[in-house]
Amino acid sequence: MQRPDSQQAAFGVLVDTYKERLYWHIRRIVLHHDDTDDILQNTFIKVYKNIDGFKGDSKLYSWMYRIATNEALTFLKSKSKRKGMSDIELQNRLVDNLQADVYFEGDEIQLKLQKAIATLPEKQKLVFNMKYFEELKYEEISEILGTSVGGLKASYHLAVKKIEAFLKED
Amino acid sequence: MKEFDKNNPFKAPEGYFEEFDGKLLDKLAQQEPTIPKSDGFGIPEGYLDNLNKNIRLKLDETEVKVIPLTSYKKYYYAVASIAAITLFVLGLNWNSSEEIGFESLASTEIESYFEDNDFGLSTNDIAEMLPVDELEISDILSTQFSEENMLDYLNENLDDFEELNLEDNE
Repeated sequence: MQRPDSQQAAFGVLVDTYKERLYWHIRRIVLHHDDTDDILQNTFIKVYKNIDGFKGDSKLYSWMYRIATNEALTFLKSKSKRKGMSDIELQNRLVDNLQADVYFEGDEIQLKLQKAIATLPEKQKLVFNMKYFEELKYEEISEILGTSVGGLKASYHLAVKKIEAFLKED
Repeated sequence: MKEFDKNNPFKAPEGYFEEFDGKLLDKLAQQEPTIPKSDGFGIPEGYLDNLNKNIRLKLDETEVKVIPLTSYKKYYYAVASIAAITLFVLGLNWNSSEEIGFESLASTEIESYFEDNDFGLSTNDIAEMLPVDELEISDILSTQFSEENMLDYLNENLDDFEELNLEDNE
């Protein structure tokens, strides 16, 4: 990647390869398309600017996932601070707005599922989404989040129990 | 009664207990039938197809750098000459044998003098006092450009060569 035009071509391939996976990863954290779009673009820009510093001590996609996760979580924290809300209040507000969101096509049970996920602590929410929807392996999630596989399995199991209990409520 | 041999004759496979927790949690996780598999999120048509181009545009915007300016050293000296003469005329002893020269003032003293006092000078006033013919590019810009960077910039931003108003070299 010495010549600028080959670097740009390589970056284009990277974007095309990971854009969809990273999009949905971010979307499940921030829930709305426009916010996801901003965060996704910022993620790739950060990747582009810092790729020379990537030491290869993890897989490239784990590194990119980590950047995407941090960007999304930072976005939510800034938003809650700006609005003077707690993190939970913001989460609930974002879920409430889903019903009117033109890019949410879910039925009642899927909306209830998002409400259930919104009640989870941050780590459990991330692990649940990455395991259940994104179907990542525990080892991959461990590389991204920096949590042990055993800890992730416990978080996932707890998350599932809470979601099931929430869905069974009237 | 004869005592039974208390040594346990049975053996468990190697690593069995270490792996037990994880296997149990995996099995428990497979028991979740009530959670919908799709989360109901939709995406604008063509969004992912255009993403690469949008990121490229954003990168091009962020790559335009702002060059920091050094302090106008020669400007300070030029205006200092006016202020010092004014002070000399207004406040000093005409008969004093002492001469005030700029050599006795540190450049930092001159700079702080102008930073701390507002003389209400317009840009035209300053331009009249600046020794333009003596100004070097290094007086204004701290970053030195390579010729290649300058040629690239001109190539991308110049529509008509005549705009440069170049004169014939002697």
